[in-house]
Parts: sequence; structure tokens; C-alpha cells
Amino acid sequence: MKPSAKLLGAALFASTLLSQPVYAETPPTMLVVGFSMNNILTLDPAAITGKETVQVLANIYDNLVSLNPVDRAKVDPQLAESWTIADDNGSITFKLREGAKFASGNPVTSEDVVWSLKRLMKLNLAQASFLKTHGFTAANADASFTAPDAQTIVVTLPKKLDPQIIVQTLGIVGPGSILDMKTVMEHDKNGDQGAAWLTNKSAGSGPFTLGQWASNERVILDQNPEYWGEKPAMKRIMMRHLAESQSQRLMLEKGDIDIAFSMSAADLKALEKDENVEIQTNGGSGFYYLAVSMKDEKFQNPKVREALRYLIDYQGLNDSVLPYFGRLRDRPIASGIFGSLPNAGYKLDVEKAKKLLAEGGFPNGFSTTLRAISDVPFMSAATAIQATLAQGGIKAEIITGTGDQIYGAMRERKYELLVGRGGGGQLPHPDSNLRATVYNPDNADAAKLTNFQGWRTSFYDEKINKMIDDALIEGNKDKQITDYEAIQTYYADMVPALQPFSEVVDSVGFRADIKGLQLNPSWSTQLRTVTKER
Amino acid sequence: MKSESFTAFGRQAGTIFVTLVGLLILTFCIGRMMPVDPVRAIIGEEADQATYQMVAERIGANLPIYQQFFRYVSDLLHGDFGTSIRTGQPVINDILHVMPATIELATFAILFGAGLGIPLGILAAVKRNKPIDHVIRFLTLIGHSMPIFWTGMIGLIIFYAVLDLVGGGGRMSDFYIGLVPETTGFLLIDSLIAGDWEVFWDAVNHLLLPASILGYSSMAYITRMTRSFMLDQLNQEYITTARVKGLSKNRTIWHHAFANIRVQLVTIVALAYGSLLEGAVLIETVFSWPGFGQYITNNMLIGDMNAVMTCVLLVGIIFIALNLLSDALYKIFDPRTR
Repeated sequence: MKPSAKLLGAALFASTLLSQPVYAETPPTMLVVGFSMNNILTLDPAAITGKETVQVLANIYDNLVSLNPVDRAKVDPQLAESWTIADDNGSITFKLREGAKFASGNPVTSEDVVWSLKRLMKLNLAQASFLKTHGFTAANADASFTAPDAQTIVVTLPKKLDPQIIVQTLGIVGPGSILDMKTVMEHDKNGDQGAAWLTNKSAGSGPFTLGQWASNERVILDQNPEYWGEKPAMKRIMMRHLAESQSQRLMLEKGDIDIAFSMSAADLKALEKDENVEIQTNGGSGFYYLAVSMKDEKFQNPKVREALRYLIDYQGLNDSVLPYFGRLRDRPIASGIFGSLPNAGYKLDVEKAKKLLAEGGFPNGFSTTLRAISDVPFMSAATAIQATLAQGGIKAEIITGTGDQIYGAMRERKYELLVGRGGGGQLPHPDSNLRATVYNPDNADAAKLTNFQGWRTSFYDEKINKMIDDALIEGNKDKQITDYEAIQTYYADMVPALQPFSEVVDSVGFRADIKGLQLNPSWSTQLRTVTKER
Repeated sequence: MKSESFTAFGRQAGTIFVTLVGLLILTFCIGRMMPVDPVRAIIGEEADQATYQMVAERIGANLPIYQQFFRYVSDLLHGDFGTSIRTGQPVINDILHVMPATIELATFAILFGAGLGIPLGILAAVKRNKPIDHVIRFLTLIGHSMPIFWTGMIGLIIFYAVLDLVGGGGRMSDFYIGLVPETTGFLLIDSLIAGDWEVFWDAVNHLLLPASILGYSSMAYITRMTRSFMLDQLNQEYITTARVKGLSKNRTIWHHAFANIRVQLVTIVALAYGSLLEGAVLIETVFSWPGFGQYITNNMLIGDMNAVMTCVLLVGIIFIALNLLSDALYKIFDPRTR
């Protein structure tokens, strides 16, 4: 071949490539969702840990009830048509709806529900902790979950508590997900109740079924032909692993994906101006907080802790560091939850903080360390707090690391100051926040209650423990609300080890022609209501 | 003679074995010294101590480190590469799934890198200090010094978002996923087997940009090396002699100078290909390419040692194989080594 012929060949090849159609839109009945799937380790509802997995399973499994995404005090029926709470608050009776089927075609019966709950307790995987907290165990599971007939389930509470919190727990993805017993048990391996099989298979009754999970690549959900509710408009949901926020943004701008779930604040902000893209924000779970370790003598002094409270620029942090991911909150109960008080209104007040430090015996401040995960927004928040602490004379050296390093130090109780995120809140119940942030039943090192931030901060107050326990079993709703308000006031007065400065919110970007998207708190968004208007 | 070559073979096999064992020990030690906790990755931040203990026992993380190592090695000797914590699948299945994506990317990148790099390197050497040499050196300097994730992002913005010439992230567009049966795992080959040209072109469309960017970066390296090898040769007296003898410039360059650098070129191209096969985690992340680089990095980050060790073992084997291959090619190109 002569050189000119070669060139011509190359040009032809190139022109074939370039003339290939590039589709600017996703297909009309397929929803394409992008987020980082690095944390998806299993799709067994009993074993999941991250919010990303919740986002997948929320569309595959039904629960007895579902938590209303807008009115957080409300619980809606799902597989259960109705439920009643016994007069003595000792049990809850659920009535199943007629005609609901699993994707396999098997009918949803009370036996499936009871089996799913017992399986959760007996396998004792990650999600069991939601019920273990309230006294359910593998040993009492048989007595706690019973099915008097095919449509009725009775949940007997193992100890005295607010039945509402159990109803809510059964509404969250994981502990409340109902599995198809027959299908799962066909894949039982050495008594694992299908745990190995469920890692990458599904057996639910939700609007979609798991088509394929290719780790770090994609999850495909296909419409469940047996779904008992209104058929979703989408035949398929393609969830794509897009680890980079900027890749998500580019693909959303181009219309190659419909929803981008894990974009950074900078990219969300840049998209505000794009008329083809909308942004939706809704409540998440937990708080961004500044925590001290009460192992440190300085911080045992309440004056010092109070001084720290006035060395945080609450408004500034929320405006500059946490847009899209946090909303100003300085109380230990999330806003919008029953019993939550309005913000206490703490402000950066350097003079007051200096005065408190002087009263606490540190007129010239002191040096300390401040730990934060080396990731946005933690690092930015820590840097901002470092600057305001310095105004009050506290020199805080920032120590960064991975989640394992930073929270690892907190679990070991070996740190001084720490900027973190957490504090329960998966349930719209004040107890969920309080138990995770301040409750600490046993302050001994050996107790290793690493799941309580109260223990991690070595903060122990018998009175607040009792107030939290009492409020949970209070049968009179009005009295219960007053109790929770009193706890928040007491929390403010005694200045505990953990000061929230923001409550977690989630934000997603989506194409403007996507309708019916209602972001659910804690990544449990139901995509069955989504339609495309093109 | 026969026993001699047998001894040589034995020595080589021994070296390979010791290298691989050393590699495994080193990887395990580094992996275990990293402050990551696979148990925490499984149970999450808020789980209690009892759950922690239970899971630690299940995956063997509660055993002393040396016992964990021996457990892995003994499983390995039984042909069991372990199960990944991240995916819940046998590691070997995972690798078979991610490796074709990486091989496709690496092969296109090296074709691009070597295909352009070698001629450009020769051109630069021949036209030393002429404008074309400066241009080539400038281009390779940029290719060598720009962070590849940045080049990738800029490439995406220009060629995907603005010019609309290539596909975005991933190996193919969403609507083609599942249309072609996974026979070999190589999307280009699978789509050809299925005779589905649309999928084939879509895959090429998605491959072009990441492969070119990776290729540009290896081209920069190959060009600079080729240029310096060629200059070495062109400054030798035998070249002058050849020219004085009346040999044409082209013949001198190709038949003498180039013939003498083939051996070195084979080595650097093989090594460049080897490092591409390790997976290019930054490019894979920017382009959401489900390859080996992301797989090994993500498993490293959660301390999934079964997967990491097997991946490292594989990388070791790839490098040894490429070394053996380039040794074999030496024998063809360089009569003195026969």
C-alpha cells in the first residue's frame, strides 16, 4: 500500500468512528443513576452497612411499613395494611395486605415476615444491632416474632419501651426488609440461611428485582412483574459506579445519566446554573460535631467545654463548608423529629470563650490536637474550627487520616478533639439520636461500648441516661415530648462532650425532565415513582 | 549440554519461586501494617463489640498475623485463592472479570504509545536540535509531567462534553449493556463474535479516550528512551564509517542504528506494557473503567488481603512472564546472546 492509500484508510477509519451516533439521552423507560459504589460489599439486607447499599435495596425489598419521606413523624403502610398497638404497649399486631407476591410469584405470608426477622436476629449480622438495642436477641426471637395466622404478625416487645420506635425500625431498609423464605431457603448452604446466595441475589417483593451486580461497575434493577403496587414507569434502573464527582457531573450535564447521587458540593454548586439540571436536598441522619475526650483532664472541666462551644462559627461553617451536606443544628435531636427544640442559637463569641477559659484555669489557652478524616467536608470543617479555636487561644494541631484511623482512635478513646459525623438518626425518633450521641450505660474501658459515641467520648452522666430511658417508655405522648425537650435543655446546661454544629442532609442532582423524584432520608429513595417527561 | 540447560532451567524456576514468595510476604506485611480494618469495613461504624468479634472470627482476622499468612498460603497451595470480602465472590472469578477490561485498555494504550513513540523518538534523534526535535521533546515532556487524572478529566471535558466525539465513563453506553453475551470478557471480541457492530463501535468509542491518554503517557516515556538510545548509536564511529562508505542515510538509520536498539526497545516496551497491565487506577477511576487497578486499590483500602495478595501475585507473574518474553526476543534480535 502506498503511503497515500494508508492515509486514506486511516482517515476513513477515523470518520467511521466519529460518525457513530452519540446518544445524548438515556432511553425513555430506563433510569440511569450514578454514584460511588465503593462501599457496596453485600446485598443481603441483614448484613449491609453503607448507605449506598440502602439505596439499592430500598427498591428491591418491601417492609411491613415505610417511613414517610416528607412528614418524618408519619409511618405509611406497605406490606402491612394496618397495625395496632396493644393497650399495655407490650406488643404490636400487623395485618398483611392481601395479594402481595414476591418476585418469584410466591405469596407474601406472615411466615415469611416472621422468618425474615428471626433470620436477622439469628445470623446476628450488622443490621441486627437496630433490634438488639431494644432487647431483641437470637434467644428471644422465637417468642418475639409470631404468626397466629397467614395474614397476622405479632411482635412482642422484650422490654418496656415505646412501640413506635419498633414500628419505625421495621420501616427501615435492612432490619425491616422482608425476604422470600422459600426462595432463600432453596439456596441454604450449611445452615447459612442463604447468606452466601443473597450476597449478589435478591428475593424481595419490591417494585424491582436485582438483575445484575458487578462490583464496582454497576447494579441493574429490572421491573418486578409480580409487584403488587402500581407498576413503575421505568422498566429498568441502571445504577452505575461513578467514583468521581466530576465524572458524575459531566455525564449528568450531557444527559448520559439521569440522577447523580454522590456529587461534591463544588459540583452541585456549579450545576445550580444549569437549567437542564435540578438539585434536591432532604434530611439525612446524624450530625457533624466537635467531640472532646473526657479522658483528657482539661476537658473534664465544664468551663473548658463551654468555651469550646463558643469557639465554633456555626453559621460560617454551614454557609461555607457544609452547603448541600449539612444544615445548622446545635441540639442533639434532629430538627423535624417530634420533641426536638429549635436551635439554642450558639454563636462564635471569642470574648465569652476567653472568659470561660480563664475561669477554667486556662487564661492563656492551651495546645491540643484535632482529628479529622482527610476528606471533604471534614478537613475543611476542621481547618475552620482550628482557626476559631486559635482566636480563643487554643492551638489545635490537626491530625488527619482514614476513617479507620480517625474513628479508630475514637473507639480506642485515644484522642483529644475530633471533628466527625454520626449520632444515629436512621429512625425519626429522638431516642435514635440521643442513644447514639450521649447515652453511655457503662463508662469502663473494658465495656468497649464502641457503638455509643457517649462511651467513645468517655462522657458519663447517670441522670441523662435515666432521662433517656424514661422518655422511651413514657406512654403518654405529650408527656414524652416534654421529656425529650427537658433532655435537650439539660444537655445544653451540662455541656456534654459532643457538640453538634450541623445536621446531615443529602443532596442529589437530576435532569430537569425527571419527575416524581422524592429524596428519602438516609438514601432510601424509592425510584418507582420516577417518570421521564420527554 | 542437556544437563546444563536443565540446571539453567532449574535455576530460573528457583529464582521465580523465591521472587514470588518474597513478593507475597512483603505484600502481606505491608497490607497488615496499614491502618485499615477489614472487619470494620464489613460491620460498619456503629456496630457493637460482639458483632465485631463474631465477624473477626469468621474471616480469621482474630488470628495472629503469621497464622493468617500461613492460612492464605496453604489455601493457595490447594488451589484456593480465597474469597473477596468486597464482592463475596472467589477472588479468581473477580480477577477474570476485571482483567479483560484492563487488558483491552493496556493493549490499545501500548499500541498507541509504542506505535507513535518509537518513530517520534527516532525522528527526534535524527533531527537532533532541529525544530521538530524541540517540538517532540516538548510534547513528551508534557506527557510525562502532567498528572494523568488531570489529563483524563480535561480529555473528558473536551472530547466528551464539548466536542461530543467519544463516549463518557464506562466500557459502553448503558443501553448496550447485556446485549452481548460475555464469552471472553473482552468486549471488543465478544461484540465481534456476536456480530453486533453497534456494540463494537460503541465500545471502541468508549475505549479511545482513556486508551489514548494512557498511551500518550507511555508514548512520552518510550519516545524519550528511543531518542536517547538512537543518539547513543548515531554518535558511534561505525555510523560515520557507514556513511563514509557511501551508505544512504535511511539505510544507516534503519539497518544499523535502529537494528542495534531493538533489544533495548523490546525491554522498555515490555515493561511499559507490564505497568499498564497492573491497572491504571487513576484513569480507571476518572473513566469509571471497571479494571484491575480499581479492584486492587479498593481491596487494599479495606484490607481485603485475600484479594490483594492474589492480585499482587498475578502482577508478579505478569512481570516475570514479560521478562522471560523479552529475554526470548533478545535471543532473536541479538545473535550474541544465543
